[in-house]
Amino acid sequence: MSNNEATRTTDGTTPPTDEIEALIGSVGEQIENGQLPVSILHNEAVYEQERRRIFGRNWVFVGHETEIPEPGDYRQRYIGTDPFIFVRDENSEIQVLFNSCRHRGSKVCRSEKGNSSHFRCPYHGWTYTTSGDLVGVPQQRNAYQHLDTADHGLHEAPRVESYHGLVFAALDSNAPSLEASLGDATWYLDMYVKFIDMEVIGDPHRWEVETDWKTPAENFAGDNYHIPMGHKSAIDAGIGSDTATGEKQSDLYAIAEASGHSFSLYQIESEEPSFWGHPPEVVDGFHPERLSDEQYEVARKSGVTLGTIFPNLSFIHLGGTNTPEKESVGTFVLRQWQPKGPGRMEVWNWILAPENASDAYKERVYESGMGTFSASGNFEVDDIAIWNGITEAAGSVFAEQHGTTTNFTMGRFGDAAPERVPDWPGPGEVYVHGGLTDENQLTFYRSWYDAMQEEPDR
Amino acid sequence: MNGDTEHARRSACEEFLYHEAHLLDDRRVSEWFDLVTEDIDYRVPVRTTRERSAEDEFSDQSYHLKEDHESLRVRIERLENDFAWSENPPSRNRRFVSNVAVLGVDDAEIDVRCNLLVHRSHEDETSPDLLSAERRDTLRRTDDRLRLAARTVLLDHTVLPTNSLSIIL
Ligand code: FES
Ligand SMILES: [Fe+2]
Repeated sequence: MSNNEATRTTDGTTPPTDEIEALIGSVGEQIENGQLPVSILHNEAVYEQERRRIFGRNWVFVGHETEIPEPGDYRQRYIGTDPFIFVRDENSEIQVLFNSCRHRGSKVCRSEKGNSSHFRCPYHGWTYTTSGDLVGVPQQRNAYQHLDTADHGLHEAPRVESYHGLVFAALDSNAPSLEASLGDATWYLDMYVKFIDMEVIGDPHRWEVETDWKTPAENFAGDNYHIPMGHKSAIDAGIGSDTATGEKQSDLYAIAEASGHSFSLYQIESEEPSFWGHPPEVVDGFHPERLSDEQYEVARKSGVTLGTIFPNLSFIHLGGTNTPEKESVGTFVLRQWQPKGPGRMEVWNWILAPENASDAYKERVYESGMGTFSASGNFEVDDIAIWNGITEAAGSVFAEQHGTTTNFTMGRFGDAAPERVPDWPGPGEVYVHGGLTDENQLTFYRSWYDAMQEEPDR
Repeated sequence: MNGDTEHARRSACEEFLYHEAHLLDDRRVSEWFDLVTEDIDYRVPVRTTRERSAEDEFSDQSYHLKEDHESLRVRIERLENDFAWSENPPSRNRRFVSNVAVLGVDDAEIDVRCNLLVHRSHEDETSPDLLSAERRDTLRRTDDRLRLAARTVLLDHTVLPTNSLSIIL
């Protein structure tokens, strides 16, 4: 599979642009009827436009601040498919630098992570500080007297901002602020990254999969309908969330249209606090003063929360365990679906724990996350096996010729709109019986459609 | 050390490694599970590309698998479930085990190193996933036979070239 170039593209040719604009347009026409042209999940020209219009314009997750705690700490990262260095400079400022020498373009950083005072290009030796300043040019007096070094630092991602530790970058200098782009999603994100000081444990899992990046983004946006069937084997084994194993009863709320982002919240009605399975001594380290009373109450009842921040960052905060014999813990897993070609992606998977929890607790958080959502995760492996089949159909001539669609009409019952929750305290459109609506996934594809317009709408 | 004993010891290790590979290739995972000790420590650490001068490419915090007897049992149980879509239909796996070397011996245990190449294919694919690794194992002498007490699989990959690790390495 991964070695087989031939399976990666449909026919190796790029359809003319107007056909692609027509395909994108047909998404806009059909999405409100709950139909999605499946071809967009495996199409070379669509992919090339996504690289530019989505990953070239929007805020894209780069990493978590705790991955580079000390000055000089760096990690190689990608924005879409473009190589960047995520680095903390000597002044402890976070930089996102284009990983390409200003001389002839070589990568100046070739190791995945480390700590360094400088990046020295292996080709001719131009040397840059961790802030990207060019400070060394071999034989400069004889060869490059005329060079204005101040003007030849490493290029930077035009926009870099952090939301409580989650660092995003945008290639478009005119992008609205990160906080404006997250918009209503901050009300929900605050419960995980503001209320709790999270820390990444170790290095992310990375693996390559024959699935389009949009398929898991759509799934994590709110496909709760797949759990009993898709994950039966893991649930039968008695692992995963306490709400899925039936250990705890919960109500599922689907939050659509949170400024283009979506969430699913499993709420446990009980006097006893839930806080995603974090035990009281860990919860003691959280920061209720940073939340509104309404947010705190939602956090208190939380069993599992998951969601997708457009375009390609998803997460699950899961109260559960990887073996039925062991106590449940709260695991927070961030996953990025990095585009790697039409119908192909690399999964990046970070496991996070509350920073001030004990080492023993963090270790259990890690094990529980790895055992459920990772390359070997007992839940994840079955998702991916299923998703790969979509890619094959999406790349078919039949789908292209006949405009075949996938269905997002659950809970609509003809023309009737799915049932909304009237008194929900947070923003977004909130649906009860959240497992039985596709509104979250439609939110994701509306965001996609808006982002894929030739001119950004801002 | 007597040459014959050394040879016999390596043969015994090889016999164990080939036998378990055979069970895993044949998807007889429960029988394989009988070959691990109750205190099994099974790890596949995450690897990163590092400078030559870096101390270690393998994480001591992050793992693709970090299993004890209980969590391995969960995986085995799940694999035998007809709804385990990642392995139903099953992937076809062939484990090539070579370069076996005994690293250390005491009365109770033998530390052994080997190379592992897994040739893995799914459905109609004609190009296999190839997973390459070094294994560091501790085999324990028990009443009836050698058993696997510890295994660390040191992968030659930073980005895994397979859809999922729903197999035992
Ligand atoms: S390309 Fe970097 S120094 Fe020449
Ligand atoms: Fe799933």
